[in-house]
Amino acid sequence: MRLYTLLARNLAWYWRTNLAVLLGVATATGVLGGAALVGDSVRAGLRDLVLARLGNTVSIVTRPGFFRQDLAAGTPIIALEGVVGHEAGVEVYGIETPQVLITAALAKDLGARPGDDILLRIPKPSSIPLESLHGRRDDAIRTIRLTVGQVRDLPSFSLRPQQGDVRAIYVPLARLQRDLNQPGKVNTLLLTHAPVDLKQHYTLADVGLRVRTLDNPSCLSLEADSALIGDSVATAAQSLGFRTQPILTYLANAVRMHQHEIPYSLVTALDSNLAPAHDDGITLNDWAARELGANIGDPVTLEYYVWRSDALHTETAPFRVERIVPLAGDAADPNFAPDYPGITESRNLRDWDPPFPLDMSRIHPADEQYWNRYRTTPKAFIRLARGRELWGTRFGSLTSIRVFPPSPHFAESLRAALDPARAGLTVVPVRSQALAAARGATDFGEYFTYFSFFLMASALLLTGLFFRLGIEQRTREIGVLRSLGFSASRIRTLFLLEGAVLAVAGAGAGIGVALFYGAVVLLGLRTWWFDAVGTRLLSLHASIPPLALGAAAGMVTGLASVAWTLRRHHSFTPRALLAGAFLWGRLAACGRVVLGLLALLLASLSLFANQTAAFFFAGTLLLIAALLFQSAWLHARKSPAIGSLVALGLRSVRYRPGRSVLCIALIASATFVIASLDAFRRDASPPGPFPLVADSELPLINIPPLEGVQFIPFRLHPGDDASCLNLYQPQNPRILAPPPRNPWPLLDSRLPGGAIPAIADANSMTYSLHRKLGEEFELAGVRYRIVAALQDSVFQGALLISEENFLRLFPDTAGYRFFLIHTPPGKADEVARTLTAALSDYGFVVQPTAARLASFHKVENTYLSTFRALGGLGLLLGTVGLAAVLMRNALERRRELALLRAVGYRPRHLLTMVLAENVFLLLMGLSTGAVCAAFATAPAVLARGGRVPAASLAILLALVAATGIASSSLATAAALRSPLLDALKSE
Amino acid sequence: MLEISNVTKQYPSPRGPLTVLSGVSLALNRGEAAAIMGPSGSGKSTLLYIAGALEPPTAGTVTLGGVNPYTIPEKELAAFRNQSIGFVFQDHCLLPQCSVLENVLVPTLVANDRAAYPARARDLLRQVGLEDRLGHRPAELSGGEKQRVALARALILRPALLLCDEPTGNLDEASAEMVAALLLELHARQQTILIVVTHNLALAARFSSRYELRHATLHPAGA
Repeated sequence: MRLYTLLARNLAWYWRTNLAVLLGVATATGVLGGAALVGDSVRAGLRDLVLARLGNTVSIVTRPGFFRQDLAAGTPIIALEGVVGHEAGVEVYGIETPQVLITAALAKDLGARPGDDILLRIPKPSSIPLESLHGRRDDAIRTIRLTVGQVRDLPSFSLRPQQGDVRAIYVPLARLQRDLNQPGKVNTLLLTHAPVDLKQHYTLADVGLRVRTLDNPSCLSLEADSALIGDSVATAAQSLGFRTQPILTYLANAVRMHQHEIPYSLVTALDSNLAPAHDDGITLNDWAARELGANIGDPVTLEYYVWRSDALHTETAPFRVERIVPLAGDAADPNFAPDYPGITESRNLRDWDPPFPLDMSRIHPADEQYWNRYRTTPKAFIRLARGRELWGTRFGSLTSIRVFPPSPHFAESLRAALDPARAGLTVVPVRSQALAAARGATDFGEYFTYFSFFLMASALLLTGLFFRLGIEQRTREIGVLRSLGFSASRIRTLFLLEGAVLAVAGAGAGIGVALFYGAVVLLGLRTWWFDAVGTRLLSLHASIPPLALGAAAGMVTGLASVAWTLRRHHSFTPRALLAGAFLWGRLAACGRVVLGLLALLLASLSLFANQTAAFFFAGTLLLIAALLFQSAWLHARKSPAIGSLVALGLRSVRYRPGRSVLCIALIASATFVIASLDAFRRDASPPGPFPLVADSELPLINIPPLEGVQFIPFRLHPGDDASCLNLYQPQNPRILAPPPRNPWPLLDSRLPGGAIPAIADANSMTYSLHRKLGEEFELAGVRYRIVAALQDSVFQGALLISEENFLRLFPDTAGYRFFLIHTPPGKADEVARTLTAALSDYGFVVQPTAARLASFHKVENTYLSTFRALGGLGLLLGTVGLAAVLMRNALERRRELALLRAVGYRPRHLLTMVLAENVFLLLMGLSTGAVCAAFATAPAVLARGGRVPAASLAILLALVAATGIASSSLATAAALRSPLLDALKSE
Repeated sequence: MLEISNVTKQYPSPRGPLTVLSGVSLALNRGEAAAIMGPSGSGKSTLLYIAGALEPPTAGTVTLGGVNPYTIPEKELAAFRNQSIGFVFQDHCLLPQCSVLENVLVPTLVANDRAAYPARARDLLRQVGLEDRLGHRPAELSGGEKQRVALARALILRPALLLCDEPTGNLDEASAEMVAALLLELHARQQTILIVVTHNLALAARFSSRYELRHATLHPAGA
């Protein structure tokens, strides 16, 4: 005989109780391990998905504009977003393919088959910014008719990390290059190796710059494809040590003096011998002076267009003629002007095709003659500073920089000095970014651990309960061992060893449970809870770490549960144990009341915190307080007089108060979770001032006016969707900028340190970006600080910053792509239809604001449903526990029941008695859970309009009550089935 | 020597302390035996448990071999009980999960020098007539047999003091007779101090020293 022999005997002899304990630990292990496995599986699924879509691409070279396709060794492609048919948000790729391919998801949306013709609309590449004088706003879209060659199944190439199906079209690269008029150019290079050093490979042309050699005067001229040289390039070019002359040439609609005017003339701002000495001075060439009849000192007005506040405005500036120079030499230089498509190549003035209105009636034969002879030669010169002041834009304020003498080293020096990234040519490590994104915005492991918390708690409570029942069953055995000389600590060790064996075995069995639980949850995510993830491509990835974590946690918590159960047995004398004394309940009733009051106080304090804290802390503390009060009441010595069968039954509730409290706790905690979650559901949002929201795939500059309809346009810098609809961790979230007049003055605040103030949707901030209010963080080298958070907003998925900051950060991003739309009452549907029809070429998608919010709520509600379903499982475990306790109570009282039968009680009397006890426990649990939930969720319910889902809650609680009563009845019936005589004999 | 001096035991009750024993004294030397009788609730079992270091007295002292068990730490007290005291209860209190032999050996699990005990256990079981039931479980034994196993278990570590609480209370006449005879025979052989608490007059009659507990005090029987 050895201690382990006794241990083995104990484990085998009490196998039923031990099996229950083992199952409890297995359940806790399985739930925790399964939850971690779900998190791991979602991450692995996202990782596999994004890697399959990237293929062997490691990084990409990309630029908002186009560059040489042989810039570096890689696969050249064109990557755009466009509209196919009426489907917006389609990924468009120009790749090496003999035919047009579309993904199955897009084909389904379009109803397209191989051989069908489809229309593709994509932004027309233009180096000239749309929001500038020469930007072609009315010709910003290229429409291409294509024939579908093949519908492609998974996996589909995509650069966009997203868990949903890829909606993409793959067009032969050469075809796309031809249609976009970008021969030999692409906007993306796929690299299968580590990022390249672009500085070694790029040319000035790749970043939209060119250096021309001019003969007269002999110099170099640095110019930009966009017609404007960016400030950073200008600064670099002028700091290389060469003699430079910055130039800004602009089109004046009129050079006017009194009644005379010269229409559509180029005016050059520069600092040279042609420039006037004063800021308000102007130099005219003699042709212009003659046409105007101007002399030195005469007032001259320049009239010109400027782009301000989303439209062209005509402005004027007064000057005084300071010099008149002959139209010869430097003054006769047509190269001061950059190339303007539609203007510089025109043979005569009337052939001009500029993107702004022209009044041809103002053009006289003399003007045509000047154009024919001198082309773009400026007619007037002003000082550079004055020109920049009048015509400078966010895109730059120089049209060229001349370099004297024409050094052969200038271009290379400039190339070496420039950072291609500042010119928009960047290398993006897409693979590592995708892997980072695949870690997930939402840690499903963490979520399901939370969701499964009460399930785990129930399992552990059951573990403790069953272990306790087992020990209670063996109280006399403990007494015998004590009388035989076993010390209390040795007996405790023996039981702990038993517990340890059960915990280890339970944890081992729990690994299987974890695999099953993880598989079931993932099945749920693919089916019932699809809205929470938006993909059916998730499957179980069994990996060791989460299973080991679950097993370890199961063992530790199981053992802790056992240790907690054993904590008091040594305080009883062996004689008391031999007499079958209870091992529990030494804390005085008044002590429980004091603890309960303390918990109540803490709960009250927690209610002053935010909603989430109020729910978790206040609710839990309220529950603890209520259970402590009930425990105090059940442990109190005084009992009500027995005047009826029901009273006799209720007296039994105090027979084993610890068990009764445990039963109440199990039912109450599960009820608390379920009732609380229902209060957090969002069904519909109250209507706001903007019944419609719209997204435009292609940027809109001018929105057609509609009577009674007001548009609030937002600028959009595309990026990752940071809403709850995207499972990937957003690396570069979308950024929105409201117009300058908006209700968020915080956006315009100047923050110490230079961080840009940003506002985020509260949910996006917390769950996708994982940021806090006031937190500073960096995105793509820019520091932002969240200065406010919006509750339940349509801006979920994006960061809001001021337009001023937006234009500073993204000067090349033109137009508006997100709109809030106010409509006359009852006209929302009509307006939506009109806009959709009128702007379908832009991929303009109008949606009721309520529907947009509902799509976000759907995700939230699905999470709550998940939580509720798992809470329901916890409740089921609670009911099992209740049934087990009731069965145990009934069996222990078998003799008592037999005696009552012997003295004339009928089975129905006994059933009434036992049911009274059980129903009491059940109702105490249900009411405690429901009342605590009501208090804890009151702030949230009130904040959402005071709506309580009373009906569904009542049905749920009624179902719980029915289940509990059914299990109680079964337990009682089982106890009453034992033969009367046997029960009496054992007495 | 067992010396119980002026022992008082009180239990708290809603109406004030309930005195079960008052000024009880008893001294027994090695090889001596005594039977204690008395009506139910007179405090017989309480006195037995106090003597057996299972329940501390409210007042008074108990010494066994000069050691007062209630003055030593819990761990040493357990060892003291293990080495010096053997118990036989009315309800045999055998571990249902263990065999007959294992039940007898249970006290040795926490004793020193365990190697010699299996042989002694077999010998004791032979002495109580159960040598052919070593592997049986308690559930397979009759009441008398179970009590004989309990007796063997009580003697396995050669205790100085053997305490029996109604050892024949649950047995029929024949079994009771057999257990009583065995008890006294083994006591004589082992030279223990034996105290038996019983209602059974026939059993009590086998003892030369008999006491009666009345009104919380101990009197020689018949006095």
